[in-house]
Amino acid sequence: MIWYVSVGLLGLLTLSIPVGVVLFLLGFGIDQFFTPFPLLRGLGNLVWSSSNSATLIAIPFFVLLGEILVRSGVATRTYAALDRWISWLPGGLIHANIATATMFSATSGSSVATSATVATVAMPQAERLGYDPKLFSGAIAAGGTLGIMIPPSINLIVYGFLTQTSIPRLFLAGLIPGLALAGLFVLVTALICMVRPELGGERRVFPLSKMLSALKDLVPIIILFTIIIGTIYKGWATPTEAAAVGVAGAFAIALAFGGVSLEMMRESLMGTIKITSMIMLVVIGASFLNFTLASAGLGQALRGFLEGMGLSPLGTILIVVLIYIVLGFFIETLSLMVVTIPIIVPLVVAQGYDPIWFGILMIVLVEMALITPPVGLNLYVVQGARKSGSMTDVMLGVIPYTLVMLAMAAALIAFPQIALFLPSIL
Amino acid sequence: MPQTVLTFLRRLNLWVASLVGVVLLACAVFILADIILRQLGSSFGGTDEISGYVMAIVTSWGMAFTMLELGHVRIDILRSQLASRGRVIMDLFSQAVLALTISVIAFQCWPVVANSIQNSSTANTPLETPLTLVQMPWFLGWTWFALNAWITLAAAAVLTLRGDYDSTESAIGAFAEQETMK
Amino acid sequence: ESLNVVGSWSSLPLHQQYEQPFWTETLPAAADDLEVALTTHDQMGLGTGDVYTLLGQGVYDVGMTVADYAVADAPELEGLDVPLIATDAATAKQMVDAARPMVTDIYHDRFNSHVLAIAPYPPQVVFCNHDISSLADLEGLKVRASGRMTAKFLEALGAEGINVAFSEVPGALQKGVVDCAVTGAGSGYSAGWWEVSTHLMTLPLGGWDPVVTAMNLDKWNSLSPELQETIQTQITTEFEDPAWATAQDALANDVACLTGNGDCPAGDPASMTLVEATPEDTERAKEILVNEVLPEWGERAGAEWVQRWNDSVGEVVGVTIPAS
Ligand code: NA
Ligand code: NA
Repeated sequence: MIWYVSVGLLGLLTLSIPVGVVLFLLGFGIDQFFTPFPLLRGLGNLVWSSSNSATLIAIPFFVLLGEILVRSGVATRTYAALDRWISWLPGGLIHANIATATMFSATSGSSVATSATVATVAMPQAERLGYDPKLFSGAIAAGGTLGIMIPPSINLIVYGFLTQTSIPRLFLAGLIPGLALAGLFVLVTALICMVRPELGGERRVFPLSKMLSALKDLVPIIILFTIIIGTIYKGWATPTEAAAVGVAGAFAIALAFGGVSLEMMRESLMGTIKITSMIMLVVIGASFLNFTLASAGLGQALRGFLEGMGLSPLGTILIVVLIYIVLGFFIETLSLMVVTIPIIVPLVVAQGYDPIWFGILMIVLVEMALITPPVGLNLYVVQGARKSGSMTDVMLGVIPYTLVMLAMAAALIAFPQIALFLPSIL
Repeated sequence: MPQTVLTFLRRLNLWVASLVGVVLLACAVFILADIILRQLGSSFGGTDEISGYVMAIVTSWGMAFTMLELGHVRIDILRSQLASRGRVIMDLFSQAVLALTISVIAFQCWPVVANSIQNSSTANTPLETPLTLVQMPWFLGWTWFALNAWITLAAAAVLTLRGDYDSTESAIGAFAEQETMK
Repeated sequence: ESLNVVGSWSSLPLHQQYEQPFWTETLPAAADDLEVALTTHDQMGLGTGDVYTLLGQGVYDVGMTVADYAVADAPELEGLDVPLIATDAATAKQMVDAARPMVTDIYHDRFNSHVLAIAPYPPQVVFCNHDISSLADLEGLKVRASGRMTAKFLEALGAEGINVAFSEVPGALQKGVVDCAVTGAGSGYSAGWWEVSTHLMTLPLGGWDPVVTAMNLDKWNSLSPELQETIQTQITTEFEDPAWATAQDALANDVACLTGNGDCPAGDPASMTLVEATPEDTERAKEILVNEVLPEWGERAGAEWVQRWNDSVGEVVGVTIPAS
């Protein structure tokens, strides 16, 4: 069955059938060949119950929030301001990419939305200033993945929803690892550009007056972050509802900057529906595939296999990490989580691990999956925003950042407190 | 002719998407109002139940729009290596598989609605929402998606037979010419 | 013969202590050549309301979940789990036994399935982060409830029903988003609700959440009479009876763990204030049930079911729903 799924997945994806449709097809196949039960009869109920979800409505809200920031010009201002503050480092503007991605991660719950936002404002600069496209686009794709680690985060909402763990605590746990990743991205970029200066652009040093005057352009994003996170931790709104609050906040900020028009709102909504439907077809397909896999006994088989190996808790975690790295190459991230969480998390928790900690570890691995070919959504988003050049540039550009994520996963295993410290004191 | 059909479908779905967008915004406003009301010690009650229904309906009705905007993500590793004739063949195949799959989904969604009609089902909540009321629009959204998928496939097939590969690709290719985000 | 079985919540004791051993060990040992594959509805990602619908369609052979989840398709099923009437396991068992013929008919007609067993979840009690001394004190408070009849009861009592996910309840209690929340005493203990609440009212405001185990009717009819007999005997004696037998003790233990009055086998006891129902409370609750909540249910379910309920469950507990 595992072979059938892996080979089928790869084959169908190579045929460039839409990813969501591929997941349904695999489910149909499991129903046909691996079980005597009429699983197809459950399809309608699965489609209904996986989309009738007050939790998932956070997806369109977060995407809409990002669209409003881009189309009202707020995103461009933020990028320019961060350029003045951070581009003196070796690597120049590449650092502004990472810093902008980090800031938008703090208002957006989606990595795709975050990289789309940064790519649209940053890409024109790369061509104008003559940057090496590899590292430049790689930094955007990798920086964008922070969208699901730094709160708010749709993927953490889904994790909390599926595992019955507290979403605000998951958000707290993601903060330090998220910021640490951002810092490490900057560090690695600077190191690479010190060794090979031709990869980065010129270092851009701005006078202090210009740096200070740019500060006001960072205020909107900081306010927005405070509003979203504040309403959650004050208990005024659930994490999902906070996404609606974020939409209102982004709208108010866009109004204040004079960037609101009927046309701009219409375009933002169209973009939102497009991305939401794209994500949801994949999520619903994954739910159906998971349903067929569970019915055909994969969960039981996998559990038996792992328990039969008689691994220590650490051994189990290492195997699980390996599974996620391999699956992450081929499976879109939200569906990866939906399919694996019901099987893997109970196993890990039974070994005595904290589900909050494991959620964060999983997010690091899922971030990697977002930028590893052949199925890495962020790669496609960034490539989509480039006017020219080959996809290979972006794939090469993310390699150093992928290694940083791997190191982060190792650090989380060695020092769980990186994730658990904040939830334990607040 | 096929171009006219495609243009018409796009325009129609733009309207559908606008309507869906307004519903989504209304839901956000509803949630905000409830958050404010709660601070004042009151509540509409049932906002999350209603958001769930909105999500299901918004999702199903947005699908066809996304398809026509080439928004459903596809992996083009092999496809991008091919000449335009090969790409078009892959696109037609992919669209046919999509149309077939979505039809199966729409077909299997009907029993859910039928079951609710038969049992006069109401949500297991204080609101007692009649489920038919929310499941019917959801089912029609998937049917709409299936219908659009078949029409688009037919139009693209005609374009291909005429040898107009460029138009075929802009109808059912892997990526939109220009990302909508600018 | 082989059976595909879908269990109830995989993380809860009913599944881990009773369902899992019964279906994977006890039953296969008792019946010759019986293979069982067991998963749970949460692992399959099924909506809670879908378990019996799909069971009836033959998507699997045996399904079990909280009956209350299925009332969207069968309002008459709400009569199985009327809150507050049964304050101890013995009474709850009597109610369930009285209701069994009704439940059997409902599952037969609505879900094309055959009822094998009805086991209890622990009674759903009330955790409050608010000073309360009686049921009447809930008036004006914000309460997280689950289940339609409980929500309706709270409404009638003058409390406000708030919807909060199970995992967010501690935060909601701490911040005053809700003043009280209803769940099983054991779940509340293991999820640490006692850290953020002060008062525990052991009145079963959320009922006993009976979990119904049922088999697809076509599958059931296809089994040999001997196998039917074996399965029915085994599930009654090895699953249902033990689950009920420990229910009362489990409640006593959980309450001891939460309040510190008595031995807590599960770990360190907490020190919540125990609020016991006064006779006035019970009286008031019955009054609201009989005059408001149950007649409303009668309208949803129909007069025929009200009559059947009065003649069976009502008879046992001394409650009569007035004809509307
Ligand atoms: Na984020
Ligand atoms: Na990947």
